[in-house]
Amino acid sequence: MIVAEEVGVQFFFNRHMRVVTPGEARLRGQGLTTWGLRDLTFSIERGVGTALIGPSGSGKTTLLRVLAGVYTPDRGRIEIRGRVASLLSIDAGLLALLTGRENALLLGVLGGLSRRSAMRALGAVKARSALGEAFERPVLTYSQGMKARLGLAVAEEADPEILVLDEVHEALDHEFRHFLQERARALIEAGGIVVAAGHDHPMLASLCSRALWLESGSVRQHGPFEEIQPRYLEAVRSA
Amino acid sequence: MNREAPSPGRATTAVGGEGAVPGLLRSLGGSIDVLRALTESDIRFRYGRGPFRFARWLLDPVALVGVYLILVTFVLDLPGEAPGLSLACAVIPFQLVMLTIANAMTTLELRRPILLNMTFRRMLLPISAALTESVAFSSSLLLIIAMMAIYGVAPTWNILWFPLVLLVNLLLAIAAAYAAILFGIWLRELRAFVVSFVRALFFLAPGLVPLAETSEDVRDLLRLNPLTGLFEAYRDVFMYGTRPASWELLFPLTAALILLAIFVPLYRSEQRHFAKVV
Repeated sequence: MIVAEEVGVQFFFNRHMRVVTPGEARLRGQGLTTWGLRDLTFSIERGVGTALIGPSGSGKTTLLRVLAGVYTPDRGRIEIRGRVASLLSIDAGLLALLTGRENALLLGVLGGLSRRSAMRALGAVKARSALGEAFERPVLTYSQGMKARLGLAVAEEADPEILVLDEVHEALDHEFRHFLQERARALIEAGGIVVAAGHDHPMLASLCSRALWLESGSVRQHGPFEEIQPRYLEAVRSA
Repeated sequence: MNREAPSPGRATTAVGGEGAVPGLLRSLGGSIDVLRALTESDIRFRYGRGPFRFARWLLDPVALVGVYLILVTFVLDLPGEAPGLSLACAVIPFQLVMLTIANAMTTLELRRPILLNMTFRRMLLPISAALTESVAFSSSLLLIIAMMAIYGVAPTWNILWFPLVLLVNLLLAIAAAYAAILFGIWLRELRAFVVSFVRALFFLAPGLVPLAETSEDVRDLLRLNPLTGLFEAYRDVFMYGTRPASWELLFPLTAALILLAIFVPLYRSEQRHFAKVV
């Protein structure tokens, strides 16, 4: 289950509009602050896929990063019950100079597995990623689809209960999209949660029964996907 | 999944039913695994893979300082006792601190894809930077041994103090790494200046000659530089075969503890925002 109460994420900018940390903002004493998310309140039950929809800059990626633990809220509270796996970019956290095997070990350990468990899991990750011999090659030689397959295979090793996806499925080939859809559906059927953002609404509709419409970092509407999505599209057209 | 220490605004699921001691041991074991994984990946970047990996590890310090030591030992006719060994005893501990700082200042960029995709124990990044440089440093110890052989300096039992000296050296490097990561993001445009400043500290310590050969007027002042104690401790252990004086360990140790006291809390607060700025 995911429960967010008045969650806010703040960004600090220097005078050149580069994002800086609060420490640097204090050090330099000038610049701007803005809220990437403000007063976000919602909950997602187990066994539900939720699509984040909204225009670019509405806070979809920021919210997914909060769910993945990449950002921590600067205001409010978020409760996440369950192990989270995330695919927030095509790179999927992979380091280009390391091989598939080395990345799988590194990300497995950083994701919370013991070294021994991560080592033991390498065979399964290799099989699930279907990379074959490429598993031993540096990731910089991989296509986007190969990276995503490896990223998902590593993420699944932690036996996630919550899967967070950010537009990655939109840049990939049909075979991987189909594979990802199957994995996401299986997770939802098993009582897990999928939260996905993107602009490919048919794809989102196939994964998600609910939609969270974000606008300027706030929730505009939250409800069944088939109700929220047409309203969002209507708002886009009328704008 | 492991989580960073929750901020006041973030609640995470607690793992129930586990006692404090097993939980602590599990956390310590997890930290060791994370440190090992981060350090190994750094070393892969540095030395690559394949048969030349070992040769690169061995030759890197020679390329970095070995040539200079050869110059001092065989070409220049410098006064003093074993000038090449004396210089090695300063340059090599300095390299551990210096390279850790350089590594730390770029470590966030190196790990950008991970920082943007998942949460992990980011508090361990500075320690991993120091451990990576310790691996490189271990091969440069061979240069000290080579210098001892060249000058005919036999080791004494006091060489057993070396692990303690190394520990202080490593602690100073780790403390500097916490500061370096923060300066690396706060003062991106001044990174080269920070490196030059640290390099200047080498010359503001008895790096080129032992403390005993410096002017008495500035000797007490030089002692305030934490590197001075380190250099002298290395010389005591490897060159003079004596036990390091307590000030030689206490001064750099105090400097490390002060740096840690200042920068660890700052780092803890700032690391929550690293993914926003990489």
